[in-house]
Amino acid sequence: MRSGRMRLAMALTGVTTLVAALAACGGGDDGGGDGKTLNVLIGANTQYPEEFAAWQKTISDKFKAQTGATVKFEQFASANDELTKIQTSVVSGSGPDVYAVGTTFTPTAYSTGAFVKMGDAEWQKVGGKDKFNPATLGISGPDASNQIGIPWVSRPFVMAYNTELLKAAGIAKPATTWDELTQQAKQLTKGDQYGLAVAYKDNFDPWKFVWGMSVQAGNPLVDGKTARLEDPAVLKAYETYFGWLATDKVVDPAAVGWTNPQAVAAFAKGKTGYFLLTTTTATNSLDQGAVKGKWAFALLPTVPPGATSRPANGVEAASILSGDNLLVADYSKNKDLAFEYVKLVTDSETQLDYYQKFGNLPANAAALQSLASDQKLAPVTEAAQKSVATPFTGAWGDIQLALTNVAVQSLPDLAKGSIPPATISTRLADAQKKAQSALDRAK
Amino acid sequence: MSASAEATRLLPRSLLISITTVLVAVVLLPVGYIVLASLNSDVGVASGEFWPSSFSLNSYDKIWTTADLSTGIVNSLIVCAATAIASALLGTITAYVLVRYSFFGRLTILRGLVGLQSIPGTLMLLPVFVLFSSAGNYLGLTVIGTRWGLFLAYLTFALPFSTWVMVTYLRGLPRELEEAARTDGASTLVILWRIIFPLSLPAIVVAGIFAFLLGWNDVLFASVLTRPETHTAAVALQVFGSAQEGGALPVYSQMMAAALICAAPVVLLYLIFQRYLVGGLTAGGVK
Amino acid sequence: MPGRAVRAKAKERPLWLLTPGGLLMVLVILIPLALALWISLIDLDQYTLRRWIEAPFIGLGNYTEAFSSGLLHSIWISVSFAVLSTVATVPIGIAAALVTQNAYRGRGLVRAVFLIPYVLPSFVVATVWRTMLQPDGVVNEWLHRTGTLWLSGPHSYWTLILVEIWAAWPFIYLMALAALQSVDHEVHEASAVDGATWWPKLRSVILPYLRGPVLLACLLATLNHINNFTLPFVLFGSPAPDDVNVLPMIVYVTSFQSLRFGLSAAMAVLSLVLIAIPLFVYLRAVRLDVHEEGGR
Repeated sequence: MRSGRMRLAMALTGVTTLVAALAACGGGDDGGGDGKTLNVLIGANTQYPEEFAAWQKTISDKFKAQTGATVKFEQFASANDELTKIQTSVVSGSGPDVYAVGTTFTPTAYSTGAFVKMGDAEWQKVGGKDKFNPATLGISGPDASNQIGIPWVSRPFVMAYNTELLKAAGIAKPATTWDELTQQAKQLTKGDQYGLAVAYKDNFDPWKFVWGMSVQAGNPLVDGKTARLEDPAVLKAYETYFGWLATDKVVDPAAVGWTNPQAVAAFAKGKTGYFLLTTTTATNSLDQGAVKGKWAFALLPTVPPGATSRPANGVEAASILSGDNLLVADYSKNKDLAFEYVKLVTDSETQLDYYQKFGNLPANAAALQSLASDQKLAPVTEAAQKSVATPFTGAWGDIQLALTNVAVQSLPDLAKGSIPPATISTRLADAQKKAQSALDRAK
Repeated sequence: MSASAEATRLLPRSLLISITTVLVAVVLLPVGYIVLASLNSDVGVASGEFWPSSFSLNSYDKIWTTADLSTGIVNSLIVCAATAIASALLGTITAYVLVRYSFFGRLTILRGLVGLQSIPGTLMLLPVFVLFSSAGNYLGLTVIGTRWGLFLAYLTFALPFSTWVMVTYLRGLPRELEEAARTDGASTLVILWRIIFPLSLPAIVVAGIFAFLLGWNDVLFASVLTRPETHTAAVALQVFGSAQEGGALPVYSQMMAAALICAAPVVLLYLIFQRYLVGGLTAGGVK
Repeated sequence: MPGRAVRAKAKERPLWLLTPGGLLMVLVILIPLALALWISLIDLDQYTLRRWIEAPFIGLGNYTEAFSSGLLHSIWISVSFAVLSTVATVPIGIAAALVTQNAYRGRGLVRAVFLIPYVLPSFVVATVWRTMLQPDGVVNEWLHRTGTLWLSGPHSYWTLILVEIWAAWPFIYLMALAALQSVDHEVHEASAVDGATWWPKLRSVILPYLRGPVLLACLLATLNHINNFTLPFVLFGSPAPDDVNVLPMIVYVTSFQSLRFGLSAAMAVLSLVLIAIPLFVYLRAVRLDVHEEGGR
C-alpha cells in the first residue's frame, strides 16, 4: 500500500513538472510595453555561425536604438524549409514580418500575392530605389511598377580555377567560350588530374548551366506563355554539359554522384583545373583545402557552345541573377518597422560589413562601388553586372524542376559513357510538357 | 550464469555469439563512420574520406554556436517525455477498454486506429497548421510556437500506435487478478493503476519509447509548429545539413557530432528504462 | 467472438475512458483529415493559397490528374519497397530480440547498440549512407567496385531498401523483445526439462508468443516504410530518380515544390485508399483485430 502511495506521489510530481515545463515560455511572447517585435526569417549561416550571431546582435541593437522595437531572427535550414514556412504563413495569415528569400524564388512568392508591392512611398521608406545596384532589381517583380523584392545581397555565379594547373598546362588565361573551356579542360586532364569539377547530382546546378547556355544562344526558355525547351539550343546545352563527363572525359567519373559541396571539396584538393559554378561564399571552404592560395575566380563563358561568338539574339549572361531579396509580408502588422529594418540592412555601411563577414556582395550601389578596387573580386563584380534574371513567372519553380529532372534521369546513361541525343530529346519532350502545363496554369 | 538461465537459453551459444557479433558490426560500421566523420574536417568528409587525414574535436565545440542545440535538446526532452508518458498511459487505458469490454463499434475503432497510422504526414501538415493557427485567430489560444501545441500533435500521432501495442499485450494478460480485485470492490481506475500498469510495464516502456522517438525524429511538424525558443533538437540539427546557395560546404563534421550528441540522451534514457523491459509478468508476481 | 469479451454488465463498462483519446484524435486527426479531403477537391495552388477558402471547387479534377502524373508507378514502388523492407527486417529483429533475451555481462550495452540506428535522425542516417555510397565512396572502395552508381538509376531502389532495413530493424526488435517478456518462465523450464532442443522449442514454444506483436509490428513497419519521406529525400535529392520516386516524394514535391496543394492532397488521399484496402484484408487474414489471447 505504502509503495503504491509513494509511486502515486512520485508520478504526480513528475507529471506536474512536465506540465509546467510544457507551458513555460510557451506563448510566442510579443514583447511587453511599447516595444514591438519584428520577426525576420533568414537563412541559417553554418559557415560563420559566431559572426552571424554577432551580426544579428548588432542589427537588433541598432534597430532597438533607432525604433525602440526588437528584431527577432528566425532561421531556416534549407530552401524547402523556407518554402514550407512561407506556405503555412500565407495560408494562415500569420508568421514572420520580413522574409529573406533566394532571388529565383521571388516569382513564386509574387504569385501568392501575399507580399507588399513596393510603390514610391514604400521605396522611399527603405531609402529610395536608386540606392540599389540597378541590375539587382531585375528579379524584384514582373515589371518596374510591380515589385515585391527588395535586393539585399547578391551572389553571382562565377567559376574558380587552379592558377598553378592552368600555368603548368600553358594556358594563359581562363576560357571565355564554352568550346574553349572544353578544349582547355582536355589539356588539363591527365593522370589523376581533371579539367573540370561539375556537380552532376546537384538539385539546382544542372538547370543553371542549361539556362545559361540557352540564353547565350538566344533562347530564354520562356517566351510569354510558351515554354521553349524542345529547341536545338537547349539540346546542345545538355549535350555539352553531359559531354564533359560522358565523351570528353574531362571530369572525374565520380562527379556523376556529386552535389555542389562535393565538387567544392574535389576542387579544394588541388587536382582539378576548373570548378564551374560557385560563388564568393565558397571562399572559406576553398581556403581550407590544398588549393589555398592557388586559385582565382573567373567569369563563366558567355559564348554558347558550338559557336565562337554570340549570335545576334544571344544575351551576355554570365550568371543568373542570384542572391537574396527581402520581402515584407502583407499580413504584417508592423509594416513600417519592417521597412525600417530593410532600410537598416541595405545601408551602405551595413552592407559592407555584411560582405566583409560573409562574402555576399552588396546590393547597395555605393557599397558595391567601393569594392571595385579589389582585384580578386573583379570577376565577381563583373558577373554581378552581367547577371541576367530568370523568367519572372510563377511557373519557374516547375520549369527549374523539369530541367533538373532531365539531368537526374540521365545520370545512369552518363556513367555508362554515352548518352544518345535521342534519349535527351525524349526527356526534354517530357520536360517541355511539364513546363508548358505549369505555364498554362500561371495567372 | 545460473542453471535456470542456462535452461531457459533460447539459442545455442555459438549461434547467439555469431548473431550478436554480426548485428553489432552492421550497426557499428556506419556509426563508426559517423564518429570518425565528426572528428574529420568538412572538406575531408565531403571528399569521401573514411579515415580522417587530421583529427580534431573542434566540431564538438562549435556545434553549440552554429545551432541553438542546447535549447533544442531541452525542448525535445520535455515535449517527447510528455508525449511518451501521456500516450503510453492514455494508450493503456484505451486499450484496456477495447480488450476487456465489448461494445458496438469496437472493431471499427481498432481498425480505424490502424487506418490512422497510414495517413501520410505531408497530407496533414497544412490542415493541422491551419487548424492550430485558427485556434489562435478565433479562440485566442496561442498554439503555434508553443511546446504544448507540438505535444498535442505528437500525442495524437503516437496514440493509435500506443493503443495497438497495448492491445496486443493486454490480450495476453490473464484476467484472474483483476477479477479478484473487482470482487473486492475495486473501481476500474484502481484496477488500472494497481494491476494493469505494473503488469504491462514492458509494453508501456516500448510504447513510450516509440512515442518518444516519434517526436524526437520529427522535422516536418516541428519546423512549422515551433518558434526559435521552442524549436526541437531535430529542427536544430537540420541547420547543419544546410548549405549556402552557390557552393559552400555543409558542415558535415559538425552535423555528425551534433547527431551523436542528440542521440546520446535517448540512448541514456533507454539504458535507464530497459530494466523495466525485462519480464514484466514475473516482476509483477503473476505466475 | 466479441461475446467472449463481455464480462461486465452494460452499465459497468467504463466507456468514458475512451473519451480523452477519442477527443484528441477527432481534434488533431479527423478534423484536419476532413480539411485535407476538402483541399483535394479544390484547385489550391500558389495563386489561390492566400484566399484558400475561395479557391475554386473542381470536384474530382485533381484525382484524374493524379492518375496521369505517375501516381500508380509511385504507389507500386512504395508498396513493393515497404513490403520487401518489412520482410527483411522481421527475421533480423526477432533474432536480435532472442539473443538479448538471456542475461549476460554486457547485455545492456548490446541492447543500447541495437537501438542506435533507430535513434539517429533519419536525415543523418541518409546523409551518412549517401556519403558512403558515393561513386568514389567507402562502400565502392571496400567492394572494389569503382563507379557503381548506388544513388541513381536501377540500383537506387535496392539502396533505398538496404538503408531502410539498416535504420528500421530495431523497431521489430523492440516489439519482439517486449513480446518475449510475456513468455512464462515455467514454460521455458518445462520444455527444458523435456529436453527439447533449441529449434523445436523456439518454434513451438517461444515463437507463438511473438505472433501477435510481430504481426502488428509488420503492419506498422510497412506503413512507416511507405510514409518515410526523409530517407529517400536526403538520399536521392529532388527530383528523385524514377526508380525511387516513392509516394511521399511525389506528394511532397507536388505540394511544397510545385505548390499544388489540391493535386498533392488528391494523390495522398488516393494512396491512402489504395493502401487501406490491402491493410484491412491483412487485418482480417491475421485476425489481429478480433479478440484472441495472443498465442495461447
